[in-house]
Amino acid sequence: MRPAGHRRHWVRLDNASNIFLAAHSEVDTKVFRLGAELDHEVDPALLQEALEATLERFPLYRAVLRRGVFWYYLQESDLRPVVVPETEHPCAPIYQADRRTLLFRVVHHRRRVGLEVFHALSDGTGALWFLTALLDAYVRRRFPAADQPPPAPERPDPAPEEAVHTLTTDSFVQHFRRRTRRAGRAGAPRETDHEEFLREAAPAVLTVERAPAAPPGQAPHRPAPSPPGRSAPEPTGRDAAAPPRRVHRVRGTRTPDHRPRVLELSMPVAPVLALAREEGVAMSMYLTAVLFEALRRTGAGGRAAPTLAASVPVNLRQFFPSSSARNFFATLTVAHTYGAGDDALGAVARRLQEDFRAGAAPAALAQRVRRLLRLERAPLARIVPRPLKDLLLGQINRANNRGLTVALSNLGRVTLPEPAASHVGRMQFQVSAARPQFCAISHAGHLTITFTSPFVETDHVREFARLLTAEGVEVTLAASRTTEAELAAVGR
Amino acid sequence: MRRCPDCRLAVEGEWARCPLCTAPLTGESAPSPLPAVPLRFTRRRVLRVLTLTSLAVIGLSFLAQLLFDADRESIGALRSIWLGVVATWLVVLVAAGKRRNLAKFVVYLVALAGGVCVYWDYLTGWDAWSLTYVVPILCASSLVGLMITVRVIRMPVGDHVVYTGLTVLLGLTPLVFLALGWVGTAIPSALCGALSLVVLAALLTMRGGAVRHELATRLHL
Ligand SMILES: [Zn+2]
Repeated sequence: MRPAGHRRHWVRLDNASNIFLAAHSEVDTKVFRLGAELDHEVDPALLQEALEATLERFPLYRAVLRRGVFWYYLQESDLRPVVVPETEHPCAPIYQADRRTLLFRVVHHRRRVGLEVFHALSDGTGALWFLTALLDAYVRRRFPAADQPPPAPERPDPAPEEAVHTLTTDSFVQHFRRRTRRAGRAGAPRETDHEEFLREAAPAVLTVERAPAAPPGQAPHRPAPSPPGRSAPEPTGRDAAAPPRRVHRVRGTRTPDHRPRVLELSMPVAPVLALAREEGVAMSMYLTAVLFEALRRTGAGGRAAPTLAASVPVNLRQFFPSSSARNFFATLTVAHTYGAGDDALGAVARRLQEDFRAGAAPAALAQRVRRLLRLERAPLARIVPRPLKDLLLGQINRANNRGLTVALSNLGRVTLPEPAASHVGRMQFQVSAARPQFCAISHAGHLTITFTSPFVETDHVREFARLLTAEGVEVTLAASRTTEAELAAVGR
Repeated sequence: MRRCPDCRLAVEGEWARCPLCTAPLTGESAPSPLPAVPLRFTRRRVLRVLTLTSLAVIGLSFLAQLLFDADRESIGALRSIWLGVVATWLVVLVAAGKRRNLAKFVVYLVALAGGVCVYWDYLTGWDAWSLTYVVPILCASSLVGLMITVRVIRMPVGDHVVYTGLTVLLGLTPLVFLALGWVGTAIPSALCGALSLVVLAALLTMRGGAVRHELATRLHL
C-alpha cells in the first residue's frame, strides 16, 4: 500500500497515442498481441510470479488511463495483473471508459504465452521489451540452473527491422545510438520509482529531444546510401506527395461477434528470405507484394480501382534513440497500380521498396519527427477539449482508412536472451483489424505471419499461402475458429 | 499434422476441411495451438440498444407533456404519475450506466432529478415547489449521502474530490434562487447552502492539496 497522502504520478497521453483512443471500437479494439510458444505446457503459477517480477521493472505497465478535460492521462495504479487462461478471442477490448483497468493482459493456452496491449500504452517494440523480460523471468523460474547467465538488460536492443536495416546502414546513426544508450543507462544512479515511471511514460518524441547531443533530426540527416546498381529517389516524405488515387478496399462478411478472423502461417524464415533476396528486395516488401498479388488474384485487380495501398509502420527508435516505452513509430504508405506497367511479383516488390525507401530515408523520417514534435507542442492541440479532439481524430482516422487496402507490420527478427531463447520456438504478433492486415515476426528461424481481418472470407490468405508453397516454402497453418459452423465442428 | 493437398500446406488442429479452401484434409490431426473461443452473445450491445431506446422514449414523453393543457385537473394527475414513472426509470438508467463511479452518479442524479422536477413544476403551473423544496433537499441529502459513501467504501480522495466539488456547487445554487427571490420558503435553501459551505470549507482546509492536485491533473493544458 502507498503511504497516506501519496500522490499518484501521472503523465498526459501524447498526441500520437490519442489517435488509438479516438479510433478504437468494438471491431477495431486497437489491441495487439505478442506471443511466444514454449517447449512445454505453461505453468500459470510461475508465469504469475514472473509477471509480478517483470511489472516491478516496467512501471509504465502499472498505468491506468483516465480522462481529463483537455487530455487523457496515464496514472500510476496499485492494480495487480493476473495471468488468465485464454477464454476470450484474441485482441478482445481492454480499455473501457469509466472502468479503471490495466492496459494490458497476459494470457496462456497450452504451450503459448500471450501479451495483449492497448495500443495507446505502447507500440510493438515497447511491448516486446516487456514480453522479453517476462519470458526471461518465467524460464528462469521454470528451469532453475546454477550457471544461469545474468538477467537480461532492461532495454534489449530493438530488433532491427530487417527492411529498414538493409536500407540504411548509416554508421553515424549507429554511433549516435551507442553513445546515447551508454549515457542514458550505465553508470547512472538508480532511478526512483517516480522517475522511472515518468521516463517510461514520457511521450517518446520529447525524450528524443532531451537526449544528450541529439538535437531533433540532426543526427540522421545524411541520406541513406543507395544499394549499388539502383538509384535512390529523392527522399521526400511519402505523405507529402499527392495521395494515391482511389484505392481498392476489401469488403466481406463481418464475423458474428466482432472477433477478428485469425489465420497464422508459420514457416522457416530462410527460404522466404532467399526468395526476397532473389528479387533484390527486403522481406517486408516481398511479402507485401505477395499479398498484393494474392488480392489481385481474388479479384481486386479486375475492378475499377486497381490501385492497392498498404500502410507499413517504421520503428523510429532505430534512428532516434528514446528510452520511452511509449508509441514511437511512423506509418508509411506504399502502393501499386495494376495494369500500368510491369505487374510481375518481383517488379511490384521493387516498386514498393522504392516507395518505402523514400519514406524511410533518414531525412524524411527526421521531418516526421519534427512534425510530431510540433504537434506535441501545438497550442491549438492543447486548448481543444478532449471530446472534440476525439471527434476530430476519429475523422482523420476514417479518412486515412479510406486510402488503404491492407496494413502490415513486421517486428523483424527477435533475439531473446538465454535461457529463454532455447525454450521458445515460434513467436506470434497480431493486431486488431479494421481491414485485412498481417503482422510478421521471426524467432529461432521460424517466421510467423498472422493474418487478421474483420471479415470471415479467407480467399486472400489462401492465395498468399499458395504463392509461397508454390515456391517450395513449407507452410503450416493454424486457424482460429470464427464462424458458428466452425465452432460447432470443434472436436469432430 | 493434417495436410491440404490443394494448398500444399500443413494444418494444425482438428480440422476436417482446409480452413482456407475447404478441401478435405488428409493425415493425422495435431492439437491446435489456438483455443476455440465460443461465440460471445454480446449482452453489452443489447444493453446499449435498450438504454438508448429508453432514453429516446423518456425524452419524447417529456416533450409530449408540453402539448397538454396544464389547467385540466384530470390530466394534471395523470401527468404527475407519468412524470414520476419516467423520472424513476431515468434514474435507474443513470444508476446502471454510472454504477462504477458512485461519486459521478451522485452528480448526475442531482442534476437530472433537479432538472426533471423543475420541468414538472413548470408544466403544472409553476408554484416554485421544485426550487423551494425539491432541489435544496435533493442537494443537501446527496451531499450527506456522498460524504457517508466515500467514508464507508474508502474511496481514494483523488477519485471523488472533483465530483464532491461539483455536488457542493450544485448545493450552492439554492442560495442563488434565494437571492433572486424565486422561492417561497427560505429555510430549505438556506440550510442546503449552509451545509454546502461547511463541506466546501472542510474540503479546502483538510483536502486542499488533493483538490489542487486533481484539478491540475484534469485541467492540465
Ligand atoms: Zn486448402
